[in-house]
Amino acid sequence: MVTTAADSHGATFDVVAAYHHLLQSDSDITMPVAAIEALILALQNNNSTTVSETLDLVSRETVKLKASIPNPISLSAGTDLFQQYLISSLTRPAATQAGILDFDQIRQHLVQNGRLFVDRAKAARTTISGLGRHFIRDGDTVLTNGGSRVVGALLKSAAESSSTSSGRGSLRFRVIYVVSPSSSNIEGRTAESESAAIIAALRERDIPVATIPPTAIAYCMDTVTQCFVGAEGVVENGGVVNRLGTYQMGLLAKAAGKPFYVVSESHKFVRLYPLGQRDLGIEQKIVDFRTADGAVDAINDEGVADLEEGAKKSTAPEDAVDYTPPHLISGIITESGVLLPSAVSEELIKIWF
Amino acid sequence: MSAPAPPSTEPAKPDEAKLSPAELKKRAKAEKQARRAAIKGDQPGGESSTSGGNGESGAQAANAIGGPPQKKPQQQKAGQQKQGRQGNQDARGAQGDRGASQQQALPLRRRGSQSGLATADSKKDNKQVELFSHLYTQPRRHTVEGTSKDVHPAVLALGFQFSSYEICGSSARCVAMLLAFKEAIQSYTTPTGTSLPRHLTSHFLSPQIEFLKSCRSISESMGNAIRYLKKIIVEIDPNMPEQEAKAYLCEEMDRFIRERITITDQAIAASACLQIKNGSTVLTYAKSSIVEKTILQAHANGTKFRVIIVDSRPLFEGKHLASSLMSAGLQVEYLPYSGIPHAIKSASLVLLGAHSMLSNGRLQSRVGTASLAMQAQKADIPVIVCCESVKFSGKVALDNIVLNEVAPPEELIPLAPATGPMTADDKAGEDDEERSKVKTLSEWRDIPNLQILNLMYDITPAEYIRMVICEYGSVPPSSVPVVHRLANEGM
Repeated sequence: MVTTAADSHGATFDVVAAYHHLLQSDSDITMPVAAIEALILALQNNNSTTVSETLDLVSRETVKLKASIPNPISLSAGTDLFQQYLISSLTRPAATQAGILDFDQIRQHLVQNGRLFVDRAKAARTTISGLGRHFIRDGDTVLTNGGSRVVGALLKSAAESSSTSSGRGSLRFRVIYVVSPSSSNIEGRTAESESAAIIAALRERDIPVATIPPTAIAYCMDTVTQCFVGAEGVVENGGVVNRLGTYQMGLLAKAAGKPFYVVSESHKFVRLYPLGQRDLGIEQKIVDFRTADGAVDAINDEGVADLEEGAKKSTAPEDAVDYTPPHLISGIITESGVLLPSAVSEELIKIWF
Repeated sequence: MSAPAPPSTEPAKPDEAKLSPAELKKRAKAEKQARRAAIKGDQPGGESSTSGGNGESGAQAANAIGGPPQKKPQQQKAGQQKQGRQGNQDARGAQGDRGASQQQALPLRRRGSQSGLATADSKKDNKQVELFSHLYTQPRRHTVEGTSKDVHPAVLALGFQFSSYEICGSSARCVAMLLAFKEAIQSYTTPTGTSLPRHLTSHFLSPQIEFLKSCRSISESMGNAIRYLKKIIVEIDPNMPEQEAKAYLCEEMDRFIRERITITDQAIAASACLQIKNGSTVLTYAKSSIVEKTILQAHANGTKFRVIIVDSRPLFEGKHLASSLMSAGLQVEYLPYSGIPHAIKSASLVLLGAHSMLSNGRLQSRVGTASLAMQAQKADIPVIVCCESVKFSGKVALDNIVLNEVAPPEELIPLAPATGPMTADDKAGEDDEERSKVKTLSEWRDIPNLQILNLMYDITPAEYIRMVICEYGSVPPSSVPVVHRLANEGM
């Protein structure tokens, strides 16, 4: 199925179409992994013969991909990682020695290794749920939001832990799921259907699940023992970019003294350092001032790069994100272990230098 | 105050480490003489055995004899240990009337870091704040008198530029030092019977460094540069011809300056100026060359913003920054330190330079920075530190006491007390009060119960710092040790 998109034609390979195709065809795939896979396909469909040509191709395709979607934060985590991987593996002396033989072979090697990378990224989710389920104890009440698949996997894994043959785990815990009210009237929003699927799967496993609107988070915070949220991107200072509402959940959890865990694969670590909500480098029409005459062209003071965006693809309110600063986060559960927010930058430095 | 004779022969150098061997020997001799005199004069007979080595037991023994000398050592000791303002005068009185008996108390001080202090200096000693006594080195050198003959003229000149703040700022001093060393190394010839890598560091470079230290304490960046230089000297093949080795060293030093400071500064300015958005107000404190570069770069990029400079005594470095920014056509607001709350209200970003970034993520910078950062953090204004990795340090500090530099207290005293309104609004009210009480502070050494502390740096906690921009990108303060390992330990 992947090949159909790729087969179209080598020279006019459309990386954006391939990316969307990948996302649709595999419900388990995340945005950064899909981006990496799309780039690998692009690499396959191109007959670049030199290192710089290859790098140039990848960066061009990356720009195309980023421009095609309104919120490229999550995606850029994957593309940056892949680019960095390419640079380090192409400039390494071993690679150049091999280059004497045949550049085509190197490219094949890269493509294969890239596949390995994608497989590993997919496997990360199982590792994470294995690590993270120990954070849930008997009698706990877990608060979560959004349609994060990795959080869903974690909760399911906790529900099944030390399960008997009946499929019911011995661990008894309850889940409070924050569901935005809009989900009921808008059909087919992937994230919402995602959360509905997770809720159904948990109830299937005899885990009591309550759904609450975001306005009720503070109300039920005293019954909660810990919070788990997913992430679109984990930024350099250990903060998290995630669905709108995560920040306030973090603030409330902090105020109530409840641990607030972020569950994320480490390929979502992104080299971005926001100082605040309006520093994410994307344009979101969340605060939209209006008078009776219509929208007031608000002061676009924060210098969002709306020049590059060209056509204003303001994100739909359902896709809007916010930034949760690191001091609200108790831990980040990744496949390489449970990290403190401050360790994120260390991991990123390791990748980049 | 004129204290009696024998100790005054000793040089007035409080810090043992900074003395040359000859001076040390001289002092040891004087001390021995003094001790002997004390034993003879005060406690003939049995006590002599105890009074020498251990200060504590010596004092107890002295107390045990009874009679007139008994009380005084105690008094002296109290004055020493508390160093409270009231202890100050007591000790002075005690020293004034006591002749030789006072010498007996001398060994007491051997334990402290001021061990070598002569009694003649004890009045000056009282002018040092006890808590910071470890920071008082010998007074900064301003003359060539008594310098080692090995010190190269270029280094000599540089030293005086350091001590007069003509060259100020961690990076500037580091660059200037390397350039002077380059010149010095050019004039170096290896003595026969030894090789350059074995001789250069210990016999030629050390006196230069010692001299620079005697002019002003060296900065973290200078320390890192010196460490690097020593490392490459040691790694030179002893068989390499001298000219070649010297050329290699100079080339390496140039490379160090280029890679670790010049290019780095450009990279940092380029990434830091992206944080300055249209319509924002940048607040900065004193002067940092890298902050200056960043602001100028942002201005050159066409960003529209305003700059507020908060400045303070005694160096008024912000004035230089203000004039350089204004001549570039920027809109600058210049405020005294007391204007911080006002500045915070309109600021949208705080940009700070650094003297050093410590391994626990804390920032060591010009004294006053911490307070500004705290107030900015309280008002939820991002505080960004721009710092080259050469200034990153493996040290850790929790307070301002352990790592710091004490500048001459005279710098804090207004030059002319009666220059009218200028000085009046220039600096804090406390000085005005002082001035009204005492006619002039210039004789502060004679004013009882007055100590003046002029610290150079303070430590800003990591919680107040939102981001550190170095050549490795933007990192949270918690990643300082990682960058330090990467940049300074593997080099």
